[in-house]
Amino acid sequence: MEPQTNGLATAEKYYNQYGSRAKDLKESGKKVIGYLSALGPVEILTAAGVIPLRLKGNVSEAITKGDAYMETVVCPFVRNVFDAAVKGRYDFLDGMVLPHQCDSIDRTNDVWSDVLKLPYWHFLNVPHVTDDPSIEFMKEILRVFIGTLEKFTGTTITDEAIAQAVKAHNENRRLMRELYALRTANPPLISGTEMMKVLVAAMSLPVQESSALIESVTKEVKERPSSKDMRKRIMIIGDQIDDVAVIEAIEGAGAWLVMDDLSIGSKMYWQDVDATQDPVQGIAERYLRKLKIPTTYVADGNNYEENLEARFGHMKKYIDEFKVDGVILFIYKYCDPYGFEVPAVKSFIESTGASVLYLEDEYSTSALPRAKTRIEAFLEMIA
Amino acid sequence: MLVAGIDIGSITTEALLFDKAKGVVGYTILQTGADSKKAAELALNTVLATPGKNISDLNYIISTGCGRKRASFAKQSVTEITCIAKGVNYLFPNARTIIDIGGQDTKVIRIDGSGRVLEFEMNDKCAAGTGRFIEVMAKALNVDLDKVGDISLGYKKDLTISSICTVFAESEVISLVSEGEELEDILYGIHKAIADRTMGLITRTGGIENEVIMAGGVAKNSGVVKALEKAIGAPLKIHVEPQIVGALGAAIIALEKSV
Repeated sequence: MEPQTNGLATAEKYYNQYGSRAKDLKESGKKVIGYLSALGPVEILTAAGVIPLRLKGNVSEAITKGDAYMETVVCPFVRNVFDAAVKGRYDFLDGMVLPHQCDSIDRTNDVWSDVLKLPYWHFLNVPHVTDDPSIEFMKEILRVFIGTLEKFTGTTITDEAIAQAVKAHNENRRLMRELYALRTANPPLISGTEMMKVLVAAMSLPVQESSALIESVTKEVKERPSSKDMRKRIMIIGDQIDDVAVIEAIEGAGAWLVMDDLSIGSKMYWQDVDATQDPVQGIAERYLRKLKIPTTYVADGNNYEENLEARFGHMKKYIDEFKVDGVILFIYKYCDPYGFEVPAVKSFIESTGASVLYLEDEYSTSALPRAKTRIEAFLEMIA
Repeated sequence: MLVAGIDIGSITTEALLFDKAKGVVGYTILQTGADSKKAAELALNTVLATPGKNISDLNYIISTGCGRKRASFAKQSVTEITCIAKGVNYLFPNARTIIDIGGQDTKVIRIDGSGRVLEFEMNDKCAAGTGRFIEVMAKALNVDLDKVGDISLGYKKDLTISSICTVFAESEVISLVSEGEELEDILYGIHKAIADRTMGLITRTGGIENEVIMAGGVAKNSGVVKALEKAIGAPLKIHVEPQIVGALGAAIIALEKSV
């Protein structure tokens, strides 16, 4: 492991050279498997002794090759990541696992595997209802997944190894939550832009290194002189926003991004895996029931209000705890799961007294100037 | 105390001088063209020339519009949403809903009695239903832009243009011409399409609250005004020069900042 004296600089390095550490480890003989979305069961990959690498695209790069295989009706994020893969960005990977988060992943899985032709490929058929039979189903598909990894790596993945990986990833989540807590201060001890770099870097490293990086950042930002720059405090909601461009647009307009409900942010870190006797049980429950993403949640309240509370109640807590003044709902075009929820989440958050700005945009910086006007106007409105 | 507001839009740039005691001293409207920085400077110099003033006589300058960051002489930039709200509130103190249709944006803004923005919606990055949309249609039909509105008011047949996209709407319009439809009917159909699109934004801000003000260059088009009034079921109030509302709001904010 590299000695880490300067966490923020290390995060910045891994943010700028995404996947470089995994690539180095690959060269030294490790196996690296890429996964898409917050539904990628990293515990199992870690237990298998492979390096999990969350897949991301590049918002500054136009889609040039991917569109030969995918129509523009596919989610702009999925298309962008696929385009990057077609252009060779992920050629060093041993394989990929695509969980069934949404139709854009499910219906393009064959295209990915056929075009990329990586040695290992797995489609994780995550169910979309969260009742007891679905938990049993989830456990079964996780076991199938484990089986394919065992075959690929030629080693047995023991329950003990899974339990160890669960522990390591829970610790990683705890450390990230500790870092998040420094954002409750006013002004926050770490900016949203810096935090984005840490989040992106963290998902590109083996879990132990990721934890060391987070610890190092926490120490560094705690020790540096605190700022007196008081600004409006913003929370962002969306799926995979994994670039600083949007965050810089928000902070450049004179606010702090202090909290998120993003699939590479708090969604990843707020829910631990319970240490169950059968370790797969805890993993199945965490990914299917605790992770609140629009495609794997079925409301079980007695009425609509209770369902909303069950689905979005955690956001209310974030608003309160992180002293959020305004919320930006940033949804990708053609994203059905998040799109369906927009009116509900907007009215739910407005009921807390916080203002909401809803932006529907591409996974691309090309449309950002227009979004910037709205973000600025929103900040002027809540000033 | 003399201040200026400058609104650098996608098609036109407006500069407006405002005196604390006398109110609006003068304004100018020019084409933005390809160089928004130059347009901003020219607009400011033009508006200063009539009263024989210099930039050094100004206590504060605020820029707005999509080119707001290009006016290096401005002390601060404020978005057009906030400026339009301020400008409308100054002109119409009872205003609660604003429909502003400019060159590439349609905005619907709900405000309170002090001109504070309560909620706003803008069209997405497609320019359908904006000033540019009307320009394209006027060109396709070979009609002067200034006459488009009045001609359409003579419509007899209720035609519907169903395409939202500017390019597809243009081909739909050309098909109507080929089918022998009358010019005034086609033009009114175009205006109705704009009103329908704007209604979508109005619904998203929570509906209409009186008084409703229309601003932006498209407010000069009597056909759009008529179609919108019909769609929302309420009269629209329009300032004699609806294009300067953003610059006026910027000037008023400049005045607030300088005291």
